[in-house]
Amino acid sequence: MYSIEIRDLTKKFKDKVAVNNISLKIKEGELFALLGVNGAGKTTTIKMLSGLILPTSGDIIIESMDIKKDTLKIKEILNVSPQETAIAPNLTVKENLEFMAGVYQIKNKDDKINGLIKTFKLDEVLNKKAKTLSGGWQRKVSIAISLINDPKILFLDEPTLGLDVIARKELWKVIKGLKGKITIILTTHYMEEAESLSDRIGIMSNGKLIDVGTSKELIKKVKSKNFEDAFVKIATGGDL
Amino acid sequence: MRMLNFAKRNFKELIRDPLSLVFEIILPVFLLFIFQQIKVPDDAYKLENFTPGIIIFGFSFITLFTATLVAKDRGSSLLIRLGTSPMKSSDYILGYILSLIPIIIIQDILFFIVAILLGLTFTINIIYTILISILVSVLFITLGILIGSLVSEKASGGVGSIIVQLVCFTSGMYFSKDLVGKMFSKVCEILPFESCLNIIKGTLNNNMQIIETRNIIIYVLYTFLVLIISVILFKKRMTSDNK
Ligand SMILES: Nc1ncnc2c1ncn2[C@@H]1O[C@H](COP(=O)(O)OP(=O)(O)OP(=O)(O)O)[C@@H](O)[C@H]1O
Ligand SMILES: [Mg+2]
Repeated sequence: MYSIEIRDLTKKFKDKVAVNNISLKIKEGELFALLGVNGAGKTTTIKMLSGLILPTSGDIIIESMDIKKDTLKIKEILNVSPQETAIAPNLTVKENLEFMAGVYQIKNKDDKINGLIKTFKLDEVLNKKAKTLSGGWQRKVSIAISLINDPKILFLDEPTLGLDVIARKELWKVIKGLKGKITIILTTHYMEEAESLSDRIGIMSNGKLIDVGTSKELIKKVKSKNFEDAFVKIATGGDL
Repeated sequence: MRMLNFAKRNFKELIRDPLSLVFEIILPVFLLFIFQQIKVPDDAYKLENFTPGIIIFGFSFITLFTATLVAKDRGSSLLIRLGTSPMKSSDYILGYILSLIPIIIIQDILFFIVAILLGLTFTINIIYTILISILVSVLFITLGILIGSLVSEKASGGVGSIIVQLVCFTSGMYFSKDLVGKMFSKVCEILPFESCLNIIKGTLNNNMQIIETRNIIIYVLYTFLVLIISVILFKKRMTSDNK
């Protein structure tokens, strides 16, 4: 069964076409990496898939539900770690976790929160106000929050942006631990991240989804040495 | 309850901003105290009339800081995240309104403690006034939500202080509208602040004659309209491309 089905998805901001007629099916448990240069339309795609903005045209089917009709039901089972860190600035880390647990009406709230504290090693910052944390720590909290409702579908928009090497590797471990269990769509500008984490990779350029495949398939297709070269070739149409 | 959960977060966010408390509580208390020392020979400044004025004045800052909170939330990615959660528009609006009610009650209680220390006699009417003022405050809170849904965080302070000025000049807290002329008098009658003040004043002084039917109609009409418009605007913002 498919977890996400996208048909002819288009988003226009006034006369700017940010996402241009994308169709894609993502299987349950798949980790799909969405790559593309700045402004390619990755974040806009994620915003539409997560019900934050409305498509100009096209359909989005999530777990066999139409996002236009079953918006609230779909929102219960997904979560997003936005490109910009999203936490309540004047609340402590603990309060942020409790607040978001309330937003999703989590039943075994304390167990869930303690689990996340352990997974993301949040002990040392637990009672600090979110706005006083460093950028990387804020991001870790923001990502931890996105797991609070045990989502069936998780969108990670540049999750490792601003994380140090160790934190990045730790997050990879967390993501690998989720692989197969939930459907993940991840965007990143780090090629090795896409390569080592994802089942399939989609490359966007100017709002279009121009290629989809495993990293090996994409490398083979454009006959390049490694994935980074393959990405550059595909994304630029061979200009570089 | 999602609504209560959101209200709890808003309340924490509000009381952790010390500047808002200075304007919502300390400034009105200060004015109440100062104007009783000056002894202005005008009925408006009698404790039983000026205390209701101070309550409305305090509410105008509630409008300002509600507007700032809503505009700030809209500008931050927190609301983007909440936009992908199953929260409904009613959860947001009621969550905002509920979070301010404790602050309204704190204001009322402190204002009356100071007024009693300055010589106001304690009667059961004070309790009624507090209850009625909570109803009146809903207009000021929703007005803040409306402004916060319309303008940016930066502009919300400016627009909010227009409300503060309007309350000072058109509510009758400092001077009677009849002193300034017909035209101005009409403006005061059309705007809701004089009506709000009359309702509170009448309740405190157990003097229902000063509450005109017009006052009640204006208050109900404004509260209803502002609530509806703020819900529509907020909802529109939550689904728009630019929050
Ligand atoms: N609210 C908006 N109004 C107008 N244009 C927008 C809006 N949001 C995005 N765009 C435009 O849509 C295009 C795609 O933006 P998007 O944020 O989806 O890119 P992205 O692939 O996520 O880029 P990045 O890697 O830099 O995050 C850009 O040209 C951007 O300027
Ligand atoms: Mg982006």
